[in-house]
Amino acid sequence: MVIPALIGSLPRPVGLAKKIEQYSIGRLSEEQLEEAYREYTRRAFINLKKARIKVITDGLYRWDDIFNPFIRFIDGVEVNGLFKFYENNFFYRSPVVKGDLSLKENPLPEWINIAQGIREEVYPEATLKAVLPGPVTLAYHSINEHYKTLDELAEAYKNVLAELIKELDVKIVELQEPALAAELSKATREVEEHVSKEVAKKVIEELAKIKKLWVVTYFGTPQVLPEGVILNVDLIDGEVPQDYKGEIGLGIVDARETKMERADRLRDKLRKYLARYDVVYVTPNTLLDFLPESVAWRKLKLLGKLGGE
Amino acid sequence: MLPILPTSVIGSYPKPRWLLRMYRLRELGKIPEEDFKEAVKDASVAVLREHERAGVDIPWEGEMWRSEMTEYFTAKIKGFRFYGPVRVWGNAYFNKAAAVDKLEYKEPLVLDEFLWVKENTTREIVKVPITGPYTIAEWSFNEYYPDKESFVMDLAKIINKELKTLEDNGAKFIQLDEPAMLNHPDEVPLAVEAINRAVKGIKIKVGLHVCYSNYYLLADYFDDIRVTQFALEFANRQFRDMDFVKKLSGKELGYGVVDVHNPRVESVDEIVRAIKKIFNYLDPEWVYINPDCGLKLLDRRIAYQKLVNMVQAVKIVRKELEKEGKTEVEFRTLKDI
Repeated sequence: MVIPALIGSLPRPVGLAKKIEQYSIGRLSEEQLEEAYREYTRRAFINLKKARIKVITDGLYRWDDIFNPFIRFIDGVEVNGLFKFYENNFFYRSPVVKGDLSLKENPLPEWINIAQGIREEVYPEATLKAVLPGPVTLAYHSINEHYKTLDELAEAYKNVLAELIKELDVKIVELQEPALAAELSKATREVEEHVSKEVAKKVIEELAKIKKLWVVTYFGTPQVLPEGVILNVDLIDGEVPQDYKGEIGLGIVDARETKMERADRLRDKLRKYLARYDVVYVTPNTLLDFLPESVAWRKLKLLGKLGGE
Repeated sequence: MLPILPTSVIGSYPKPRWLLRMYRLRELGKIPEEDFKEAVKDASVAVLREHERAGVDIPWEGEMWRSEMTEYFTAKIKGFRFYGPVRVWGNAYFNKAAAVDKLEYKEPLVLDEFLWVKENTTREIVKVPITGPYTIAEWSFNEYYPDKESFVMDLAKIINKELKTLEDNGAKFIQLDEPAMLNHPDEVPLAVEAINRAVKGIKIKVGLHVCYSNYYLLADYFDDIRVTQFALEFANRQFRDMDFVKKLSGKELGYGVVDVHNPRVESVDEIVRAIKKIFNYLDPEWVYINPDCGLKLLDRRIAYQKLVNMVQAVKIVRKELEKEGKTEVEFRTLKDI
C-alpha cells in the first residue's frame, strides 16, 4: 500500500510572512497574529485533504527554520550566526551551546494542540505528526562551546527532546535528521566533527521508546539505521540502504526542482519497493520550503495521486 | 591612489520604506513605470549620499534598482521564468527563477544603474556589484539545461558581456557576488572556471564576494581565480578560523568587520580591535575594509550607524599606520596580477 505523506515544512505563505512582519514592528497584535497562524494552517489542511495527503504536519508555519524557535526554549543555548542550510539558498540561525542543556517552558505543545483542533475540524481522517529537529542534526549544526564531544551534546539534546516529546499530543513525532545522511561540514563549516554512528543510533532509538518516530533524512543515503522507527529516505539524492528492513518513507518527489515529475514514472519507481515493503509512505524528498508555494502544492497533488496502490 | 585601508560596502542597503511601497505598487500595476523609475533614482541618490556621508571611500547606491540579488538579473536574462517567491530565511523571500529555455543576453543588466551613480557621486571610484554566474545558476531552478556546466557557462558568457559593457562605460571596480560558489565542494572548479570566463578580457579591478561558507575550500583556489580582491565575511563568525587568509598572496582582502545579520551596532573600539587582528595575517596595504555582506536586512538607521562606526574605526587605525609612513595604497587592477 502507498500512503502519501508530508514531511517537515510547507512554504510559508507570503501573506502570513507579511503578518509576522507587521507583528514584529508593532502593527499587529499578538491575538491577530495568532488568528493568522490558525487561518493559514486551516487553509493548508484543507489543501492537504484535497491533495489526498494522509499523514500531515502543521507545515511549520511558526518556524523560521528547523531549529528556530525551538532552540530558543533550551537553557544553555544562545542563538547566533547565520549559516547555510546545507547547499541551499536557505539559512538557519545557529545554536551556540554555552552550558548544560535543559528544556525551558515552551509553547510547542500548545501549538500542536491548536493544529490538532484544526485538523479535527477540517481533516479528521488525517494523522498529524509533530515535527522537531533530531538530536544528531541539532548537535551537528550547533557551535559547541560547552560539551567535550558532539556525542555528549547529542545525548544532551536527546534528554531535552525526550522531555518535550512526552508533552506532545500526537501519535507520531517526526524528527528532522538530515545529518544521518548529508555531509555538512565541507561546504559550510571549517571544523569537521561528527556524532558517532553508535551514539546517533542509540539516541534516536531511546527517543523512539517514548513515542513512534518518523525519522526524516535527506541529501544523501542514511548512514545510520535506527530500529523501531519509520525511516524516510531521499530517493533523489540518496537511496534506501540495502540492509534496511524497518518501516519506510520514500522521498520520491523532488522538492528542490520545479520541473514536474510524471506520475507513471514515479509509479514505475515505486514498484520495486512495493515488492519489499507492505506499506510505503511516499513524501517529498526534503522540505517543501525550497519551492515556490504554487509548485509545492502541485508536487503534493502529484504525490496524492500515488496513494492507495 | 587611495587612502590606506580603503573603505567600501558589499552592495545592498535597506530600501527606504517609501521605495518598498513603490515596489509593491508596481507589482500590483498601480503606478506608471516612469514614476517607479523616478522613485528608484531618487532612492539611489539618497543612499549614495548616505554612504558618502558615512565617509565610505568606495560607495554604491545600495542596489535600489534591484528587487533582489538574483531575481533582478534573472528577470533581465532571456530564458528564465518565475513561479513565485521562495523563502531564504525567516520572512525573507526571493523570486527564484527557473531556466526554461536557452539563456540569452537581451539587454544590459546594471548599466543604467551604474551610469546614474557615476553621474551623481562625488567619489571617483564606485563599486559595482554583480551576481556571479555560478550563484545565479545555483539559486535558480533548471528545467532546460542537460547539466550544470552548460547552465553555468552560458551565464558566464552573459555576465562577461555585461562586464565589458560596464568597462567600456567607465566602470573601475566591479564586484562579482558568488555566495553560492562553495556550496558543492566538487563543483568549485566549475565555479572558478565560470568566474574566469566572466572576467575574460576585462582589465579593471574585479573583486569576488563570497559569504557564509567554508573559506578553507576557497583558499585552495585563491591563486586560480582571476580577481584582484576577495571580499569575505568575518564578523558573523566572530573572527574565528582565520588561518586560511595566510594562503592569500598578491591579492587583496576585503575584510568584513561588521555583522549584517545582527542589529547590535559594533562599537568603534571593537571594530578597531577587529581590524588589527587581520594585520597578523596581511600587511595593511592589502586590506580593504567593508561590512560582512550587504546591509539590506537591517533597519536603515542601524545600517548607517554600522557604516559610520566602521569608517571611524578605520580613521583611528589609519592614524596609527601613518606613524609607520603608511598612508596610501595603489588602486590595483587585473592588469597588475
